[in-house]
Amino acid sequence: MSNLKKVLLVLLSVLLVLSLTACGSGSSNQQPQQGSSQQQDSEKTWKPESTVEIVAPANPGGGWDLLSRNIQSVVTEQKLVDQPIIITNKPGGGGAVGWTYLKGKKGNGSVLAVNSSLILLNNLLGSSELSYKDFTPLANLTTEWEVVAVAKDSPYTTGKELLDALKADPSKLSIGVGPTLGNDDHIQFLQICKAYGIDVSKLNFIVYPGAGGEEITNLLGHHIDLITISMAETLEQYRAGNLRILGVSSPERVPELQDVPTWKEQGIDVVFAHWRGIMGPPDMTPEQVKYWSDVFAKMVQSDKWKELLKNQGQYDYYMPADEYTKFLDDQNNTFSSLLKEVGLTK
Amino acid sequence: MGDIFSNLAYGLQTALTFNNILWVVIGGLLGTIVGMLPGLGPATGIAVLLPIIFGMNPSTAMITMAAIYYGAMFGGSRASIMINTPGDASAIATCFDGYPMTKNGEGGKALAMSAIASFVGGLIATVLMIFLTQPIAGLALDFGPAEMFSILLFALTATVTLSQGNILKGFVSIFTGFMLSTIGIDSQTGLLRFTFGLVELQEGIEFLVVMIGMYAIAEVYKNYNNINTKYDFDSKFIGSIWISKEEFKKCLPAMLRSTPLGFVIGALPGLGGSVAALTAYAIEKQSNKHPERFGKGAIEGVAAPEAANNAASTGALIPMLTLGIPGSATTAVMVGALMMIGVKPGPLLFTEHPDVAWGVIASMLIGNVILIIINLPLVVPLVQLLRIPQRILLPLILGLGFMGAYFLSYSSFDFILLVIFGFLGYLMSKLDIPVAPLVLALILGSDTEQYFRRAMGISHGSLSIFFTKPISLVFLILAVVSFIYSIRREQSLKKNMQEGA
Repeated sequence: MSNLKKVLLVLLSVLLVLSLTACGSGSSNQQPQQGSSQQQDSEKTWKPESTVEIVAPANPGGGWDLLSRNIQSVVTEQKLVDQPIIITNKPGGGGAVGWTYLKGKKGNGSVLAVNSSLILLNNLLGSSELSYKDFTPLANLTTEWEVVAVAKDSPYTTGKELLDALKADPSKLSIGVGPTLGNDDHIQFLQICKAYGIDVSKLNFIVYPGAGGEEITNLLGHHIDLITISMAETLEQYRAGNLRILGVSSPERVPELQDVPTWKEQGIDVVFAHWRGIMGPPDMTPEQVKYWSDVFAKMVQSDKWKELLKNQGQYDYYMPADEYTKFLDDQNNTFSSLLKEVGLTK
Repeated sequence: MGDIFSNLAYGLQTALTFNNILWVVIGGLLGTIVGMLPGLGPATGIAVLLPIIFGMNPSTAMITMAAIYYGAMFGGSRASIMINTPGDASAIATCFDGYPMTKNGEGGKALAMSAIASFVGGLIATVLMIFLTQPIAGLALDFGPAEMFSILLFALTATVTLSQGNILKGFVSIFTGFMLSTIGIDSQTGLLRFTFGLVELQEGIEFLVVMIGMYAIAEVYKNYNNINTKYDFDSKFIGSIWISKEEFKKCLPAMLRSTPLGFVIGALPGLGGSVAALTAYAIEKQSNKHPERFGKGAIEGVAAPEAANNAASTGALIPMLTLGIPGSATTAVMVGALMMIGVKPGPLLFTEHPDVAWGVIASMLIGNVILIIINLPLVVPLVQLLRIPQRILLPLILGLGFMGAYFLSYSSFDFILLVIFGFLGYLMSKLDIPVAPLVLALILGSDTEQYFRRAMGISHGSLSIFFTKPISLVFLILAVVSFIYSIRREQSLKKNMQEGA
């Protein structure tokens, strides 16, 4: 008898932890006004009639999760949607698991997912069958900028000096990049080099697959010559004077790096955004798209949104649905030709 | 020196508030629970608490997250010892002797020893951290790809020791592990290797799936025949958590050796608790007078890896606090969480946010004491679980194993792998091929290869990079010495055994 009790105890504790993990990722609001069904608007407009689900195709704590939580908190606080919003974390396959789930929700206007350049790159690199064309782009929302950095005592003091050295001998310097080839960090550097006329297929990339930012320690320890990386990861080392940033991929100088010139200022016509946006399932109706476009247009205007981005080192990169759709096509073409050139795709 | 003590006093001031002590208890308890459950690790534990952590002040947040981290090191060994399944990656080495101890009816002792070893490891590592944070942080920068390759090569020589007296079979196991480790996308070129067109294999085989399969699932297969038998131990005996003076004396040097080792390995970005624990285990076996007892329930074999992995979790906080560079998945989540509440860990953390940096260090002194107070009494009810009859326990293990594997990457494909590796583990045990070298080779294999390739990229294809860098050279020499020494030792051991028989 007592054995059975103990087994039950174990099972109960397992269930407890399970429910903890489940709750932890989906802190939903208490049901707000349920009265919306009474309002019978004309058939032309649409509004969600059930709980809205935003899929973050990654574990809690990462960039996608953060963006989803920002959307949830601002939209709820500003009462832009009169249904509760929950976040579901569906990690795996570089986003593929969450997006496949979204793809299965054809025409359902209440399920959305956040995305990034990976939605294009996974497909181009052949790691996923999913294409951005399978979904309905709703808005581009935020971006991070990318930088190229060297150690504080590196012989290279400007972006030009570095690129001249690479032009003379593309394989001379070891370039740290992570976690995979063909990601934003890698592509920004390819774009810069290409614009400068460097043979990108000969560049000597050293890849750091872990999530640990090991390329920074290796740069500080003088094991490699330079890194191409997102700006946020270098800021603290930069403030401490441990590394020198040679260029930033933004269109204008950013407040955190007042004395670092953009690539444009250095005569290289490259602006590179590590953007994140939001999309819906396939076959959304124009009314559904309109509804969400309005919500996001209002959301990015709010002070709360701006404040959140500022605290998190993110930058506004809002594009409405139509502009975002075109942007995706452009990005896809650019990425595709660059990856072909370095031999990552055929 | 005076500085250190005044900083520590300041840190204690932060850590000793009622609120922070409460969170150390909550974090430590949650860490112990996620640590116990296979597949759930400290990263998940922190993620669960994230919504609450976002509302905390930075020092409390950091203190809570660290408590979850080392709490998981305490908890991780529970499942290793009781059901031969590591609750957390870094508890792998604890299976090697912890589970045999359970089979010998010494489960209570093993559980108690692992808690004590975690405590000793954690406490000493925290003291080391108080005095050595800055020099260790500087040292970590000296480890580039060449140095890391050599240190991993040194760690790999441990596989010889894990071969349990049959070097040839050991090598079969090692090379199977190496082959498995090459599956997946090759980071340096972006090419797919041995994935046979399966998308699920692109990210490689998660070594914990192999672990759970080859230990837990294989264990179920092995015991299927006697499913209706009970553990026939005296229940009082099995519940005993008292460790004799002699046993403690045996374990103390093991813990004292493993702690600094784990601490340093943990502080190197890229390596983690599992490498620390495995290396500590192997070194303990190499230096022990009776290595033949290892793998059959030697209590030192529990003490060494447990002290090492908790010390490693402490050491892993160093690159994070001093450089802002997370060395592991768990510390990466911590950095993310801290950034969201407005503290950016980095080289200026100790000067700009001393309350966070010193607060967390001081809290670990308290936290380790609290955790042993939680964990030692917990042994008593836990041990009772061992009295569950096989016909209930085995399905439970199966369920926990599958659940754990699923939580790793939320992929049902891993279930297939689990069954396959369970069968492989079963086969290997029938053929007397040791499983441990395979697991070690699988964990270290892809890192070793990647560091080698990275070093070769930097040196433009010249092998001299490994010999001209002093740290790298030292570890290469150590690797050669260790390799020859262990082979000789295994051979003489075999001879002795044959003569004895």
